[in-house]
Amino acid sequence: MSAVRLAVAVAAALVLAGGVAHAAGPLDERGALKSVTCSACHGQAGNSRSSAMPIIAGQDAAYIKKQIEDYAAGKRLSPEMEPYAKQVLNLGVDDVAAYFASRRREPTPIQSPADAVARGRSAAAQCAICHGPQGQGDAAKLIPSLAGQAPGYLREQMLLFKQDRRSPGDPTVTAVKALLKTIPDETLGDLAAYYSSLR
Amino acid sequence: MSVVTRRAFLRSSGLGLGGLGLGVLAGGGLAGCATAIKGDFAPKKGPRVVVIGGGWGGATAAKYVRLSDPNIEVVLIEPNREFISCPFSNLVLAGVRTIDSLTMGYDGLRKHGVRIIHETASAIEPDQKRVRLGEGYLQYDRLIVSPGVDFQFEQIEGLAQNQDKVLHAWKAGPQTVQLAQQLAAMPDGGVFVLSIPLAAYRCPPGPYERTSMVAWYLKTNKPRSKLIVLDANQNIISKAALFRTAWQAYPNIDYRGASRVVGVDPGSKEVRTEFDKIRYDVVNVIPPQRAGAIAVQADLVGGDKRWCEVNQVTYESLKQPGIHVIGDATIGMPVPKSGNVANAMGKITAASVVNLINGKEPPVLAPGNTCYSWVSDREAIAVVNSYRIDNGKVVQIEQKLTPAQSPLVAQRAIGWTQSIWADVLA
Repeated sequence: MSAVRLAVAVAAALVLAGGVAHAAGPLDERGALKSVTCSACHGQAGNSRSSAMPIIAGQDAAYIKKQIEDYAAGKRLSPEMEPYAKQVLNLGVDDVAAYFASRRREPTPIQSPADAVARGRSAAAQCAICHGPQGQGDAAKLIPSLAGQAPGYLREQMLLFKQDRRSPGDPTVTAVKALLKTIPDETLGDLAAYYSSLR
Repeated sequence: MSVVTRRAFLRSSGLGLGGLGLGVLAGGGLAGCATAIKGDFAPKKGPRVVVIGGGWGGATAAKYVRLSDPNIEVVLIEPNREFISCPFSNLVLAGVRTIDSLTMGYDGLRKHGVRIIHETASAIEPDQKRVRLGEGYLQYDRLIVSPGVDFQFEQIEGLAQNQDKVLHAWKAGPQTVQLAQQLAAMPDGGVFVLSIPLAAYRCPPGPYERTSMVAWYLKTNKPRSKLIVLDANQNIISKAALFRTAWQAYPNIDYRGASRVVGVDPGSKEVRTEFDKIRYDVVNVIPPQRAGAIAVQADLVGGDKRWCEVNQVTYESLKQPGIHVIGDATIGMPVPKSGNVANAMGKITAASVVNLINGKEPPVLAPGNTCYSWVSDREAIAVVNSYRIDNGKVVQIEQKLTPAQSPLVAQRAIGWTQSIWADVLA
């Protein structure tokens, strides 16, 4: 009796879920193998589902490349990213950047309170000058897309800019730092909520 | 059918008490076809990878083989019906997280077409390329063994016969909850003793994170209590300066390096080191460890009889061709025994196995290690290591530590768990 029940369980396990159709797997794509360690934090194909870890899918390739180079050089300070950026440079940053840039961005599933989103929208006018009316960024100027980005990450980066702890001395981010210094910390959370809600 | 009969069967068939797979039955409706498991109970129709162990390494490997080549059948053998995360389980001891918040199912893997048998693999037969499950067996083209660690209880006198009283809580699960209960029930003014084994063991900073979280709990809830840490190592072996800084907030910690516990007596409530006897109210002995039993049984362990040496590109065993070993059971690389490393090894091994089955060269890739440790209910620290392959060996590129403990690091720790749990299981 026991043996039969075990056999049934095993047989069922072996039949279930067979024949699932798949497109090309994640390790078949150009650059995918070279980014095999990235998904532990950044999610499958760069689509992080957490609040603190940024979505890198669909981000502009040149922007991704600059960030990797800045992390590796210690210009953009991050104890987590500096070692991994060096690993990416070792494997070939162009392939990795192209891979993530070519992935379809799936907006963050993290939902922010509607009132925070509304407050953020009304505080975002100055941000839109560079990041665009829909937070889409400007690839030509290496300005990243913020739309649908993870809110915890956005808030942390704004704090780091404000405290001059992100990319100290980098002239390309002087303006954003000056702007953020004029914005109270609680509004940064609202801005993060607003940009993470954009699609 | 009585429970006794069922258990007797499981014992005689070497299947352990992992249950009979009733959850799987629910979707099957195949009772009419069932026969007793004997011989080749599921003949191989195409290329097949069998994975033993559904932890951080094995579950990842199973998923990524399916994602990389859906023509390969993947069978995962894992006795537990749920995955419980060891990372963050020290927060359960301190009452900051629940064990439920660290517990996840395997349905995500099933959606990728991984076939899961909730049983214990009883033996590996490398010459026949098959894994035994009781009286039956499963054939494989490539086998991935991710057995985690088992404890060497016999190395500490009094431990083997008192496993119900002297807890390790070093595999997240029932013992984690029990140890939290023992800690909560300890009177204010009591002594909690934590024993740390000599490296190598699972999760190098884990005991020091546990020290921090128990000390935080005692400081917050039982301020007259004390935590004595008996470390067999000379000193803190991971993130030492950051832990030392964190412990300045916890004068209740009495840390003693080079203090190997050799005996424990729950009757007199004493632990014995080579030089000393210490009385405790609650004790937590993290025993010395080796690769999971199946790796020892299948002769995958090296000369030390504890850990498995592997090819550092493909993770194929140096002792048994066709069998890949990943995760905490491996040795010889400059990587810690961590969940993040096991996850990376799972992906790299999946890519290797898929290529080898398809007659292609395996890719040359190295893992990475991201390791957060909590030092209070709201602050964490981290160490990160990246690696490359040099002449077929894993070599470290760089190690970085967070400059200080902070709530922002703790937020990133939470983000890491959410991302990596999905990478392993979703």
